[in-house]
Amino acid sequence: MKSLSKESILGLVTLGVIILMSMIAPGFLDLGNIYNMMFQLPEFGLLTLGMMVIIITGGIDLSITYVAALSGVIMAIMISSGVFLPFAILVGVLVALACGSLNGFIVSKIGVSPILVTLGTMVLFEGVILSITKGTSISGFPAAYNLIGNGYIGGVVPLSIIIFAAFAILTAVLLNKTEWGRQVYMLGSNPVATLFSGVNNSRVLMKVYLYGALLAAVAAIIMTSRYNSAKVDLGSSYLLQSVAAAVLGGTEIQGGYGKVIGTIYAVIIFQVLSNGLNLLGVDSSLVTVIMGAILIFVLTLNFATHTFRNKKQVAGQA
Amino acid sequence: MKKPFYLFVASLVAILVLAGCVSDQNVSSSDSEGENNESGEDEKLTIAVVPKLVGIPYFNASEQGAIDAGEELGVEVIYKGPTEADAAQQVKVIEDLISQDVDVIAVAPNDPASLTPVLKKAKEEGIHVMDWDTPADKEVVELSVHQIDDEQYGRHVTDLLVENMGKEEGKIGLLTGGLSAANLNAWIEGAKMQAKEEYPGLEFVIDKIATDEKQQVAYQKTLNLIKSYPELEGIMAFSTPAPLGAAQAVQEQGMQDDISVVGTALPTDSKPFLDDGSLDVATLWEPDKLGFLTVYLAKQLAEGNEIEDGMEVPNIGEVEVWDDNKTVIMGPPTDFTKENAGDYDF
Repeated sequence: MKSLSKESILGLVTLGVIILMSMIAPGFLDLGNIYNMMFQLPEFGLLTLGMMVIIITGGIDLSITYVAALSGVIMAIMISSGVFLPFAILVGVLVALACGSLNGFIVSKIGVSPILVTLGTMVLFEGVILSITKGTSISGFPAAYNLIGNGYIGGVVPLSIIIFAAFAILTAVLLNKTEWGRQVYMLGSNPVATLFSGVNNSRVLMKVYLYGALLAAVAAIIMTSRYNSAKVDLGSSYLLQSVAAAVLGGTEIQGGYGKVIGTIYAVIIFQVLSNGLNLLGVDSSLVTVIMGAILIFVLTLNFATHTFRNKKQVAGQA
Repeated sequence: MKKPFYLFVASLVAILVLAGCVSDQNVSSSDSEGENNESGEDEKLTIAVVPKLVGIPYFNASEQGAIDAGEELGVEVIYKGPTEADAAQQVKVIEDLISQDVDVIAVAPNDPASLTPVLKKAKEEGIHVMDWDTPADKEVVELSVHQIDDEQYGRHVTDLLVENMGKEEGKIGLLTGGLSAANLNAWIEGAKMQAKEEYPGLEFVIDKIATDEKQQVAYQKTLNLIKSYPELEGIMAFSTPAPLGAAQAVQEQGMQDDISVVGTALPTDSKPFLDDGSLDVATLWEPDKLGFLTVYLAKQLAEGNEIEDGMEVPNIGEVEVWDDNKTVIMGPPTDFTKENAGDYDF
């Protein structure tokens, strides 16, 4: 019997959730609501992809939403004071990369554990943003910039979802088709063996944190443009959600495994659930409870099928 | 590593090319609007009230008021907010409410600027838009419900502090919920103005101290403040958790008679501190009334009724309406002291 992979199970769950919601939630399939979800998904999806790549190496990035906020705030300041748009975006991306390289440097060269490093940089970046903005939000962008998060391509597809799709494909290609990608997985499963295989671990790690920061910057562009403002807590609620979605998507929290498609399924599940439950008028705190329950259910299911399969293999060999 | 680099550049170029044909309208937006207007004509009005976040006593009390108003006035009230005070989450809640095709959305913004696009979208869909508790973008909302006149309220807090210190001079400290909260800043401005104009002997030992809307942080910061300025005689604390944290610190240090604490807190939370004098007086509007007033005015708005200065609102009394015909002020605050704090259930 051919058994289903983690990702296929998740795909079926996704499909099930979508079908369920379109049956029970009024107005779920309305065009307006579908657009609504397509606009809500990209920023969260991008942050989750960034988080996933880092988790594959066995790390975690608690500073990711603050990297996004810092780069968003810098972009917002420049854009609202009339700096040439592409230049402002470029500077924003560079700021995020600088943050990423700080994380990467401390994790890879000094060797402090990622959870501690990024906890520290999270507070650091938050402080930097606060001292720049004094806590106020920065707004007032030209209409052209607002199109990034709110515009449609050819009047049909939201631009932001295309950007998300492009980066999802890019991430999949980088992870699966390049030497770096394979090294990321190797490093995640066994750093010592990877080092002795002649891989420059710290260089691989550095690039991982840079890539995470790049995705955070793209998410920041979409968020600032969509919300027409940037602030210290921009997207801060995505922080733990992105860890949860990455893990729900099948990424091993100890590292070594994780697929883009699984992550996308997980992001869609989160999106469809929160939107559907909102349409049903379920209390917000109950929505969080249901999300938590589903997360635990799927993780248990994954764990159970995993051990079951292992046992079968052992039995088969004997 | 060369191949992915080219791929990256290629995708960037593709994005730039596609960007040329981006517009802010989707082809189908015109016909979906038609549908929205048809439905809901003969049904009950649906009024959505969006707080900054759910699950804190203040917004639970206003929820109760909003729901009571719904029952009394025969409208359906949806009270829904983010579980974290994050602007992004709040925008999502509003977007989902637009999909639900409600008649009025009344929102208490976490970050006013971030709501402007989504509120505009709501208006395009024919939904009435108003704010409550904290003002949103003036240009977008049709009605703005304020619990209080911000400046007067700030001045009132200073008066209370002076009254409780028993003298018009001395060193005082000031705690706030967050540096960016517009309403807190407006109150602080009022409080400082009053101190400057009426009580020049009052000296703020340090600039406002942020407490992240957390009692624990307010407690820590107050301990530091007392340690750094032993001659401190008064503390004014803005945002509902801050006075509690400050009072907790004063209580622990046994300095109830040395330091007067006044602030903006809910009566049930404050009661233990009011009882032993660590908190001298708390002052706030009644959030359940604010929820009630919001729903009442939302109904007026949806039915196209005029709102005028001095109009009588059931359960609330007379409200003040400013000349812009948009801003409604609920009335003066209520002071909660040792004697009356037990009479309230929020």
